[in-house]
Amino acid sequence: MENKGLQALESCVIQKDLCTFCGACLSLCPYLHSWKGKWLKLDDCDLAEGRCFAYCPRTRVNLETLHQEVFGQSYSNIEMGLFKQVKMVRASSPTLRQKAQTAGVVSALMKFALKEGFINGAVLTQRTPDHLPIGRVIRRPNEILSCAGSSYVAGPTLQALNQGPWKDSERIGVVGTPCQVLAMRKMSLSPLKRTTPIDRVTLIIGLFCTWALTYEPFMKFLKNRVKGARIRKLDITPPPERLLKVITENDRIWDVPLDEIRPFIRTTCGVCHDMTSELSDLSVGTVEGIQGWSTVIIRTDLGEKILSQAEAARIVKSQPLPEEKFKHLSEASLLKKQRALLRLKERGELENGYLTLSRELIGRILSEANEAGS
Amino acid sequence: MGNEAIARGAIEAGVQVCAAYPGNPSSEIIGSLSQVARELGIYVEWSVNEKVALEVATAASFAGLRGLTAMKQNGLNVASDFLFNLNLSGSKGGLVVVVCDDPSALSSTNEEDSRLFAKMCDLPLLEPSTVQEAQKMTRWAFDLSEELGLPCLIRSVTRLSHARGNAELGPITKNQQNPRFDTSRPIIPQPVMETHKALHNKMKTCQDRFEQSPFNVYRGPEKPELLVVTCGPGWMYVREALLNLGAENRTGILKLATTWPLPASFLMEHLKKADRILFVEEVDPFLENNVKELCAQRAGELGVKTFLGKASSHLPNVGEINPDIVTRAIQQILDEPYEPRSLQYAREAAEAVSLLAPSRELGFCAGCPHRATYWSVKNALAMDGRDGIVLGDIGCYTLGVRPAGFSQVKTCHAMGSGVGLANGFGHLERFGLNQPVLTVCGDSTFYHAAIPALVNARYNQSNFLMLILDNSATAMTGFQPHAGTGRTAMGADASVVDIEALCKALGARVQVKNPFDVQDTTETIYKLLQDREGIKVLILKQECALVRVKRQKALYKVRVDQERCVGQECGCNRRCTRIFKCPGLAWDPVTGKAQIDEAICTGCGTCADICPQSAILKETV
Repeated sequence: MENKGLQALESCVIQKDLCTFCGACLSLCPYLHSWKGKWLKLDDCDLAEGRCFAYCPRTRVNLETLHQEVFGQSYSNIEMGLFKQVKMVRASSPTLRQKAQTAGVVSALMKFALKEGFINGAVLTQRTPDHLPIGRVIRRPNEILSCAGSSYVAGPTLQALNQGPWKDSERIGVVGTPCQVLAMRKMSLSPLKRTTPIDRVTLIIGLFCTWALTYEPFMKFLKNRVKGARIRKLDITPPPERLLKVITENDRIWDVPLDEIRPFIRTTCGVCHDMTSELSDLSVGTVEGIQGWSTVIIRTDLGEKILSQAEAARIVKSQPLPEEKFKHLSEASLLKKQRALLRLKERGELENGYLTLSRELIGRILSEANEAGS
Repeated sequence: MGNEAIARGAIEAGVQVCAAYPGNPSSEIIGSLSQVARELGIYVEWSVNEKVALEVATAASFAGLRGLTAMKQNGLNVASDFLFNLNLSGSKGGLVVVVCDDPSALSSTNEEDSRLFAKMCDLPLLEPSTVQEAQKMTRWAFDLSEELGLPCLIRSVTRLSHARGNAELGPITKNQQNPRFDTSRPIIPQPVMETHKALHNKMKTCQDRFEQSPFNVYRGPEKPELLVVTCGPGWMYVREALLNLGAENRTGILKLATTWPLPASFLMEHLKKADRILFVEEVDPFLENNVKELCAQRAGELGVKTFLGKASSHLPNVGEINPDIVTRAIQQILDEPYEPRSLQYAREAAEAVSLLAPSRELGFCAGCPHRATYWSVKNALAMDGRDGIVLGDIGCYTLGVRPAGFSQVKTCHAMGSGVGLANGFGHLERFGLNQPVLTVCGDSTFYHAAIPALVNARYNQSNFLMLILDNSATAMTGFQPHAGTGRTAMGADASVVDIEALCKALGARVQVKNPFDVQDTTETIYKLLQDREGIKVLILKQECALVRVKRQKALYKVRVDQERCVGQECGCNRRCTRIFKCPGLAWDPVTGKAQIDEAICTGCGTCADICPQSAILKETV
């Protein structure tokens, strides 16, 4: 029988350098660990089936089935997944806007969801003083801000979800990258006996993501680049500048062209089809060319409800996304899909890789992306 | 036991000083002597290594007393530097060096035929075949040594040292010799050309004595079809083989007990008897080649002979031999029909054996601190992620090369070689080696051979982490006391040589931890591996489980909460019984849960810390 456990995870994902380091397989079993930004296997496991394999966003993903289960609809919108509405949103609080990275929208919404009791705990990504991303469970609304910002490094956020500990009645909200959102949906739909709190995850806010970096080599590079100075904050400026701004002690700013950090992008990001977290309740990302606002894709009833209530409570403000920005977002998202498919083809994984798409869909993505690109 | 017979022979010869470093299959010689040392007024010590042991016994000889040392094959390598000077300087009082070889390496890291040393350094070599001979020949070896003024080597093997047999005992001599070193006559190997010549003359005298030795015997017809020349336990195997084949009337056996220098005339007399000559011995063709050399020299007298043995592939040149192997060889040569047992019976017997004695992987004892240590090493190296190299050494912890130690150890050679290799690896970073270097060493091995390597590391500024697995015992060879145990071979109190203080004095940065605290140990090893400068020593101190259970009650009462244990399910998959594998943990296939085997568990509590479901509970006793 075909192995669907750790052995298969190793051969299909780890050895192919496809691990996204989402954390879905961590804190479930004693053999897998995360250590300083690395996925570690401590011992072999010979089980025929395991949650590590079942939940991984880089083992078989059937987008059609997932969409049917999550949205009750077919996977038809190939640009950026199913959605109800797309808006431009920003947090009302200037503090949030200033401190957080997506116009404060994610922080504001999670804070609101906690305060209003939509959720009792939030799983967010915090960074250690060494900029190592780690999953963190937040229960008090005023602690949300401790997780604002990004180091552009992949981190095992879902490990914190698996680890808890959770009380029985608690409802959970999670903010994650597209691969983490995908993993959570796989967790929900897996027939394997679960001891994870996934059934209590009620709200998923997905982030836009084009790639993430591998912690150790990236930090080593950065430390050299800033000549050992203590790094306080990292920020990527929007086009046309496209620079990584590294802010070190005494507010010194170092400009690092993005091309210099591309070598540290995880291999797996190259085969990722999802820029906008297509399986979330709400997806949030920047609006290219407009500072201080975020794009929010409303995908589910719950997402719609929270956003409208937050707006009514003046926590966030929204306005329609200009048509050309919407078009630009669609194109960018589709181009990511096209790049992923081409990369999978290069790797000989288009047919038997992680992504299960019909020939018809593959054909559409490739041709429409070409049109968009031209 | 053969080793007890050797000890008895020494006592009967009036031995006064005995020293050794333990090593299987030799350990019981000094072990037995230490038990009667006070009663008989002899001095017995466990020395720090074999070279020192030989030097201690030699000092007695230099002062006119009788001395004995015993060691395994590797031990003779250690002692050989002194031995290759002692042959030239000569000895005074009877000095006997017993070396017990371990063919097939049943409890060794190597296989070696130490008889070649006798030829290399021109010393008399005796090879007893039976327990009785072991006793008698040891007694005689002292007289011979004294007469020749040379140390005498006795070579035993596992199947003699550890075999039981009958022996008629002789009277015990209580030697009241007064030691005295004649300072007017220095005992030195110089002038070398003179002493070397004198050594050859001594060996001529020795050869004369060997010609007359009653331990060399011929048994068989006057004109046999085949002459078997054998020594050591080969003698017993050949006799059994001839009995099996009913070939006693066709075959003669020439048993040699004095195998270097060869009793040439005695041999010539018997070699003439047959045209075909088979050599039966363990391991190397020592006798075979030396006799062939003699035959070549005396070819004119002897004529053409057919030599059979290892060179002709009738017998293996590795491993132990046994009556089956010898029977097959002789059967082939004599073309005798022989079927030891029917194939049907052989098949049924093999099946029965596999049912009654399931094959088991070599493992650490229940509650062994080495298991916990390797657990931490494994996890720390995985965390480190640079594919760290673990250099092993000699002791129970050598099992670190196998699944018992999670296959962490990657090299294992001689005593102290782990830290020696670490010295070298520690300098390879300059050429681009980016793997951290870690070496493991037991407490007894540390005293034996690790100290010079540590001095070297300090002096030459190497960079590695040394784990000293201090279980306060020379566990693998039978719990002999050593410099760290506070007790001597004769049961007296002794000063403890403090490993921690010694390492600090050598300039290493030293920490001491309890290996049973796996989390703390793992983190400590990880941190020390990140430290790229100099020598780091981590002493993992926890008494050997077998010593501890004899002395004190279990630390914890351990049990498995059957509700919490998830057994084979995803989330555990038998981590305790599949990976950690302490024999104190048992897997119940009926309930699908782990259990504690209370008869075996020593209550160390380590398994409670590795259970992912916290189902293993430890309660302080």
